[in-house]
Formats: sequence, C-alpha cells, structure tokens
Amino acid sequence: MGGALEPRDRRGLILPKWLPPALLLLPAALVFGGLFVWPQLGLFATSVASPPPIGFATYQRFLGDSFYVAVLVRTLSLGACVTLVCLICGFPLAFFLARLESRWVPFLIMIVSFPLWVSAVVRSFAWMVLLLRNGLVSIWLRDAGLAPAGFQLMYSFAGIVIALAQVLLPLMVITLYAVIKGIDRDLENAAMNLGASPGRAVCLVTLRLARGGIFAGSLLVFSLSISAFATPSLVGGATAQLMAVAIYEQTLEINDWPFAATISAILLAIALSVALVYGRLIDGRNVPVR
Amino acid sequence: MTITSLRHPFGIFLWLMVALVMVYILAPLAVIVASSFGTTGYVAFPPQGFTLRWYEQALANPRYVNGFLTSLRIAAIVTVVSSAIGIAAAYALVRYEFPGSRLIESLFISPLVLPGLVLAVALTIFFSRNPIATGTDRLILAHLTICVPCVLRVVIPVLQRFDRSIEEAAQNLGASPVKAFFLVTLPVIRPGIFAAAALAFVMSFDEVEMSVFLASPREQPLTVALYSAVQLAFDPTLAAVSSILIMITFAIMVVHQVVSRIRSAR
Repeated sequence: MGGALEPRDRRGLILPKWLPPALLLLPAALVFGGLFVWPQLGLFATSVASPPPIGFATYQRFLGDSFYVAVLVRTLSLGACVTLVCLICGFPLAFFLARLESRWVPFLIMIVSFPLWVSAVVRSFAWMVLLLRNGLVSIWLRDAGLAPAGFQLMYSFAGIVIALAQVLLPLMVITLYAVIKGIDRDLENAAMNLGASPGRAVCLVTLRLARGGIFAGSLLVFSLSISAFATPSLVGGATAQLMAVAIYEQTLEINDWPFAATISAILLAIALSVALVYGRLIDGRNVPVR
Repeated sequence: MTITSLRHPFGIFLWLMVALVMVYILAPLAVIVASSFGTTGYVAFPPQGFTLRWYEQALANPRYVNGFLTSLRIAAIVTVVSSAIGIAAAYALVRYEFPGSRLIESLFISPLVLPGLVLAVALTIFFSRNPIATGTDRLILAHLTICVPCVLRVVIPVLQRFDRSIEEAAQNLGASPVKAFFLVTLPVIRPGIFAAAALAFVMSFDEVEMSVFLASPREQPLTVALYSAVQLAFDPTLAAVSSILIMITFAIMVVHQVVSRIRSAR
C-alpha cells in the first residue's frame, strides 16, 4: 500500500505509478525551472556576451580593475568580520540558552529570534539613527575618547559590520543553540569534577565538540553577509564599495546590465561554493530559517 | 554546581556577556519605537517629549498606507500559492520514494541560500526578455522562487514525522486517497502548515531586493517605500511606520506563543 495516493481513480482505471508524484511536483518544478534556473542561466549568458556572441570582456574588466578587485576583497573581509562578531556574541548566548534550566528558555529564544521577523530596512534604519554623527553610539565613542571630534560610524566599514552582525546574529544563535543542546552536559560536568574550571571545561569540551556546528553557522552567516544588500547600502550609503551595492549601482543607476550580470555571477559563484560546503556539513533540513 | 550559576567567575562572565548581547540584539528595535514618540522634527534618541503626531502623519500618508496594503495583498497571494505548490511537492517527495528525491529536495530548497539581489537581477533580465507578466504579478512570481522553498523546508520534516498508518486506516475504511489527505493528513499537520504559511507571508512582506527591482512604480510595496524614504531624510514618520510594523510583528508572535501554549496544555 505504501500509504501514498494510490494510482487508481474511481472507475478503477490504473494510472502509471509515476504519474501522481510527477503531477504533484510539476508546479514546484515549474517555479524552480522557469523562475529560478532559467533566469540564472540568462544572467550567466548576459555576463559572457560582451562582445557578442561570446566574450569575457566584462570579466576582464572586473578582474583588471583594481577598484573592483578591492570591492571583492572588501566584501569578503566584511563577511569575515561579521562572522567573527556573530561567533563571539553568539556562542555565549547560545551556550547559556542551551544550558539554562528554566521554563523561560522558549520565551528567551522567541525574543532572540524576534528581529528576524522584522524587515531588514526597519532594522537598518534603527542602526542609522544610532550610528549617525549625532547618534548615541557615535557620541559614546567620541565621549570615551575613542574617536576624534566629528567622527561618525555611519557610512563606515565598522558601522556596516556592527549593523549587519546584529541582523544575522539570531541565525548564528539558533544554529549554535541546536548544536550545543545536542552535546551532553554531563561531559562538561565530568571535566569540572576532574578539576577543570568551568571556563576551561567549556573550552576543552563544548567548544571542541561543537566545532562542526560552529563551522556550519559561520558559513551560513558568511554567505548571507557577503550577499546582503539592504543593510550595507543603507548603513554604508549608496557608495559603499561592496559587491551587492556595486551590482545595484550598475543596474538601476548606470544601466550597464552585462557588467552587473558579471558581478552577480561572481557573487553567485562564491555564495554557491560556500553553500555547497555548508550543505555537506549540515543536512538541509536542519538549516534555520532565513 | 551548574555551569550557568552565578557562584563562580565563569558564570558571572557568562551572564554579563548574555546581557550585553541581548541588549545588542534588541536595542535597535527599542530605539526606533522609543524615538517614534519624540517631539523633535528629526529622529532622535533619547527622544524628547511625547507626541503621537508622527503616527497621525504616517497613517495619513498614502505612500505608506497604500504600500502597506500592497505588501499585504502581495504577501497574501504569495502565501496561498506557495503553500499549495509547496505542500503538493513536499507530499510527493516524502510519500513517494523515487531515485533522486533527496537531490530534488535540496535543489528545490537551494534558492534560499543564494543572494536575493542576484535573484532579483536575473529575474529583471528574464522579465525584460520574456514579458510573461506585468506590474505586480512579476513581483508575485519572483517571491514564489523563495517562498516555495521556504514552505518545502518547513513542511517536509512535518510530513516525515506524520504517522502514515492513520492515512492508511482512512483508506482501508474506504476513503479515496485524496479524501484521506484532506480529512486526515491535513488536519494533523495543520500546525506545521500554519508555520510554513506564516513564514512565507513574512518573507514576502519583508523582502527588499526583488521588490526594489521588480515592483511596479504605481504599486510600491511598503519595504520599497521605506527603503527609498530612509535614504533621503530622517523623518520621524518613518520611525512611526517602523514602530507600527515592529509592534504588529510582536503582537502576532505573542499571540502565536499563547495559542501554542494553550494547545499544548490541552
């Protein structure tokens, strides 16, 4: 029986066995093939069509121009910085939530993941208010003597890192929480009973066992931060030298679609290779949402 | 001695870190809500005075009201269509074992891990060459590419956990497979379907990149209206619109929590 829809209609007509699943999959396949694969192929075709019919002039232009190579490097280092901040902030919180014995834990997780449900534009706007010259964070930094007069974090690399890390932090926390929850807390207790201080026990046992999850969470955050658009373009301004902002500039402002397609294809290739490594590490079903 | 207790230095360090990180995660949203009540003509934090003027202005501004309604309409259509497509595909992938079903599953989910901006650029080129849809319909089609995978990812594990012997029992009692699905399977997996639909709705409602590229200029979704307005000026009306969105989202989350608590208590 198999419990599946039996390939037989009311009149007893026997349908081929493959027909019901094929029909059920058809709409999703149309969306995937027609609105995802086909447009991506079109994008790639556009990127390798200058000069027509086939040419790599736009790739040569990208790789030959030190400005765009710097944009690529800057984007990758933004990804690295955001990932680092998310790890440093995310691990203690995830560890705390996984080890806290309280009925408040589901509520705390809800609070932590709440920002994920709010549009990136709204969250970026909040950071713009805080990072501008007369914003609270910029004033604090100046008052603490850490920054010169007139300094503002808005439109700066550090500002983008601060805002983007906050946007992606809940994802890191949710990923790490699931991983740490899966590590038996008795292992830490055993290490502590054997004389290790709590901090040492966490470093020697938990951190080591959570390695795979830490790596997976880092790849997820890295991939999302190099491809993020709304936050970098708002906090970093329209001239932020990042791949996503450059793509936007080349399309809607300069109207150079072949070049935009090239930058997109390069960004896509990086994101795709990160995603492939990530997919090997974690079963697609455990991926936290967004 | 538990590791989260405050009786050793590590515990104190942990609580301190947790407090700081929680502030980091939540403060920006609190700042926006607080500053939306300030009386200054620009968004300032800490806010001065108290007024509801910016809310009045936000609700009187057709740009935001229409944007909100447009986003609502797009998200509603996308939610219904992507749920139907996603549930059908999830059912086929879980119930029928066929070679390559795992591969198809990961392929169908893959659009979620790719840059939204790249998808938006690709779809813009695609629609300019193949004018299969116009205006807001293009954005709805675009949102399907990310919302269908999203539904799949939530519904597939739910279907896998579903005890299929209940479905078989219904069929043995004479229900047709389709009837068994709608009368037995669907009611049981309903919470999972709601979760998937809610997620698809939020994804469509909050989405920025595709909306910026594909939205019809006459029918701008709210995120596009906000995105362009935020770049121009620090109008407190924007803080009011943002706060309304934050508060609606928060209310929905609280209601959802309470409802699921009551459900599980029963």
